[in-house]
Amino acid sequence: MTIAKALSGRPIRRRRERGVLPLLLGPSIVLIAVFVIAPAGYGIYLGLTDTQLTGWAARDPQFVGLENFRNLLGSEDFLASLGRTGEFVLWSAIIGQTVLGMVAALLLRTKWLRGKGLFGALVLLPMVVPEVVASLTWASVLSSDGDGTLNRLLGLFGSGAAAPLQDHPMASVVIINVWRGIALAMIMFQAALEDVPDELIESARMDGASALQVFRYITLPLIRGPVFLYLLLTTITTVGVFGLVYFLTQGGPGQETELASIYIFHRAFQYSQIGLGSAASVILLVLLMILGLTYARLAKVEV
Amino acid sequence: MSRNRVLATATAGMLLTGALTACSGSGGDADGPVTIKLLEYQEPRAKVVKALIPEFERAMAKQGRKIKVELVADTLTDEQFHTKITQQLHSGTAPDVLDMGGSNVTGLAGAGYLLKLDDYLDKWDGWGQYYTSAKEAARQPDGGFYSIPHEASLQSLFYRKDVLQRLGVDTSQPRTWDELIGRLKKVKAKTGEAPIVIPAGTAWGGGTWTEGFLPLVAGTGSTFYDAKSKKWTLKSKGLSATFGLYDELIKAGLLPVRDLQNPNPWEPTKYKNFVKGTLPVSAQGSWGWKFDWGPEGAAPIENLREKVATWDYPALVPGTKPYSISGGGYGYSVNAHAKNPDAAVELAKWLSSGTPLAKQLVTVGAVSPRKGLSGTAPYKNEPSLLDAERKLPGSILPPRGDGEDQVSQAVQSATGKMLSGRADGGQAAAAFAKEAKELLGDNRAAE
Amino acid sequence: MAATTTVEPQAATAPVSPPRRRTPTWSVVQRALQYALMVLLALFCVVPFAWVALTAVDADGGPTVSLPAFTLDNFVRFFTDGGTPRLFLNSVIVSFAATALNLVCGLLGGYGLSRYRFRGRTTFMFGILLIRVIPPPATIVALYLLMVKMQLDDSYLGLILAEAAAALPITLWLLKGTIDAVPAELEEAAWLDGNTRFGAIRRIILPLVGPGLGAAAMLTFMHVWGDFLTPLVLLQSPDLYPLSIGLFRSFTAFHQVDWGVLAASALVYMAPPAVLYIFLRRHLMRSSLGGAIKG
Repeated sequence: MTIAKALSGRPIRRRRERGVLPLLLGPSIVLIAVFVIAPAGYGIYLGLTDTQLTGWAARDPQFVGLENFRNLLGSEDFLASLGRTGEFVLWSAIIGQTVLGMVAALLLRTKWLRGKGLFGALVLLPMVVPEVVASLTWASVLSSDGDGTLNRLLGLFGSGAAAPLQDHPMASVVIINVWRGIALAMIMFQAALEDVPDELIESARMDGASALQVFRYITLPLIRGPVFLYLLLTTITTVGVFGLVYFLTQGGPGQETELASIYIFHRAFQYSQIGLGSAASVILLVLLMILGLTYARLAKVEV
Repeated sequence: MSRNRVLATATAGMLLTGALTACSGSGGDADGPVTIKLLEYQEPRAKVVKALIPEFERAMAKQGRKIKVELVADTLTDEQFHTKITQQLHSGTAPDVLDMGGSNVTGLAGAGYLLKLDDYLDKWDGWGQYYTSAKEAARQPDGGFYSIPHEASLQSLFYRKDVLQRLGVDTSQPRTWDELIGRLKKVKAKTGEAPIVIPAGTAWGGGTWTEGFLPLVAGTGSTFYDAKSKKWTLKSKGLSATFGLYDELIKAGLLPVRDLQNPNPWEPTKYKNFVKGTLPVSAQGSWGWKFDWGPEGAAPIENLREKVATWDYPALVPGTKPYSISGGGYGYSVNAHAKNPDAAVELAKWLSSGTPLAKQLVTVGAVSPRKGLSGTAPYKNEPSLLDAERKLPGSILPPRGDGEDQVSQAVQSATGKMLSGRADGGQAAAAFAKEAKELLGDNRAAE
Repeated sequence: MAATTTVEPQAATAPVSPPRRRTPTWSVVQRALQYALMVLLALFCVVPFAWVALTAVDADGGPTVSLPAFTLDNFVRFFTDGGTPRLFLNSVIVSFAATALNLVCGLLGGYGLSRYRFRGRTTFMFGILLIRVIPPPATIVALYLLMVKMQLDDSYLGLILAEAAAALPITLWLLKGTIDAVPAELEEAAWLDGNTRFGAIRRIILPLVGPGLGAAAMLTFMHVWGDFLTPLVLLQSPDLYPLSIGLFRSFTAFHQVDWGVLAASALVYMAPPAVLYIFLRRHLMRSSLGGAIKG
């Protein structure tokens, strides 16, 4: 009765209250427009100028067209930083996090395994702590002093002291990012695995399929969609990693861990070349937009 | 009623944030005493200046001027400071008086952030007592002065006399780098460790330029910066020779390549191995006497004067002689938008004179940039510094010009490439020329 | 989860089902391997924290792991010494204010997106989803210059607004989804009872979207609390530094690193998100991340 009344009353009410809509959406739109969209747009403009923060050129920024982009695309340093970002994404996100996250998710699904609750919580820990703390813990692990955690472990095997952050900086930051990202992969895959019927796996096992075969021919095809989405999502996030690496190495030694994000920061703020830094940002954005559009299209999100 | 409640919550949220900014706003007020903010970013400097501030306030009060000085002490690395002060000056939130190394001044003055001090200096009798080298080092590409230098330094090679003598290695002034490299190889043969540190690579930051590369290239006689055309020459015999020297030292295992790539490269080298004696030679400024190895320095060496001495830089290019080089020092600059520029300059001048100056010099181990201080305590009790001051007039002046930041950056990345084994001397020289040209643009780089 | 829980007891009562034809040794080995794998993974995740935990309670801590001379002094010093309480306070102020602002905007916006059909709605939803693709380092340079122009750099307000905005797309999506699940009829009934639209939001919607709101609050809070890049670029006054910048500054300080206090700060710094996480883990796992990715 009341519902019928409500239904009949609805259209009038809706029309009358249209005016509320700006009030509802306004704050969000303003915030996003001013602090997210505008910087992206302004960045494109800055990338076309020689804006600097220091030096005589800072007094009178000039429009220089595509010169910054030309310089960047011909600059070994910039291309190398893009390459490093690619390497970082490939090893840490696409390979490391995905494989270990899948292993963790599969373990959590194993019924007879005890201590899954604790295990899940421990795996989550690296993701939950702020990135600064994550870096700090690893600074101690990788310390080149003989007392660093890693060197103590190596010592158990009779190996001499190592200075991983100096000798293998890229491998070090890749491992750190894997460590931090296992949890997210685990959560995503865990959710995906819920859609795989137990009965299917049970019956395959009874037919004599090995665990690996079950995973390869039954589980994986069923969760291919979410896995693919995860890959794109983690790629996007990993390209944006800054603090985790900057805190530890500041892009060094040399420029060996100068990812694109750190390159941008260095150019723009340390060397005060806002124009060049912005142009580099734009290039990075375009690359990611291409990825992102693919992501959104494949995700087929319902709006 | 309930609608109001929701709106109230929303506005309360906004108000809360608004109120917070109100708290963070500056506390300066118009009437009453004039307040000046002074920024120090190194702890020892902040400490000594903090003790001097009440004296300054009293001295001004005697002249009938009510000036209050607020010290902003934020401990930062050089890179962090450079980033921060650039941002603050750009956004107009910087303190009034800044204490910083000369290499920062050029870029900031160029952008118009700093007050031109020429008129003040002309009227100041103290300015006449400055050594020409100190004045020239502070002069900016436009011919003006944007900082009052309150220290000078001398770049030379510090060596462990005791260690070299124990190893039976000659400690007399080496005439050429070949001669010195011969001795370093001897040391290496005995200790098995890299015996010399010259700042290089990106981790050392600006030091790679001011304490490492610049002193070497400045002694080669090749023109690096032409003050008339305001252009940098990016390819020269001197530059090639300098990159070649790094290359030779690296290939012979004389430079601690791994330590130089440490995020804090001075720690394993200057603070650890030089103190232990396993790395007995360090290219470095005269502040080493106090700031690094003095009794209150970062890594004290006992009986410093007996164990450590300095050489001039040996000749690198045939036809040149050993030399020492006057390095920059810190100076006080005034924010171009300071509300009370007169009071700010007054503070800068006062801190650069007499006993206040002597106290600061001794704290950081700097050489006096002006004559007539050798009798002022506590500076008069520092024989190492007085020695260095005597050498100052005869030392070489390094080139200074607009675009130094960019050249410094290109040097850092080119030497960094050599450290990580990605370039030899020739390749590094070429990479330097290419990157520097990119960064400087065509009108600041000579063909 | 519902499906699996119904299966679980069954599996538990008959762990090794008779039809399985594997030899017992093989299955024991397999189980041992899985346990080993689990333990190794868990160790990998936890061991790095050893230093923080041990050094924080060590009277004479260094940059590396050592058995502590037990003391709580580092924590005492953290909360009483010079600049550190200020860092903590700044983090709290910025995180709470930004989260509050984010939730208010997100709730209103999410409601609008859920209950109104208007032109451009789909584009808008799609657009803010794309924003997730923009990595913060790519816009930080321009954001900084804009903030200077608006005189919002180096202030609480600027940081709060920027942080709240950065986390808004996710909040909007989350809350829109949650509000979608609340039957419109309930709300309409409330209107008939004389409530205004905002009154109905408060009486009907708010109590029912608790889980979604909690998840959004937690995600936003963790994002702001942990952020490093934005305050690094926007703030220059030491008085305003949050913990992330404070830790970074003391970690890179030349040679005056106080490891004990640094580790204690790290522990204090990681505590709120960790505790939050433990309490809200369920919600997060089920409603937000899993849901968001599955669409």
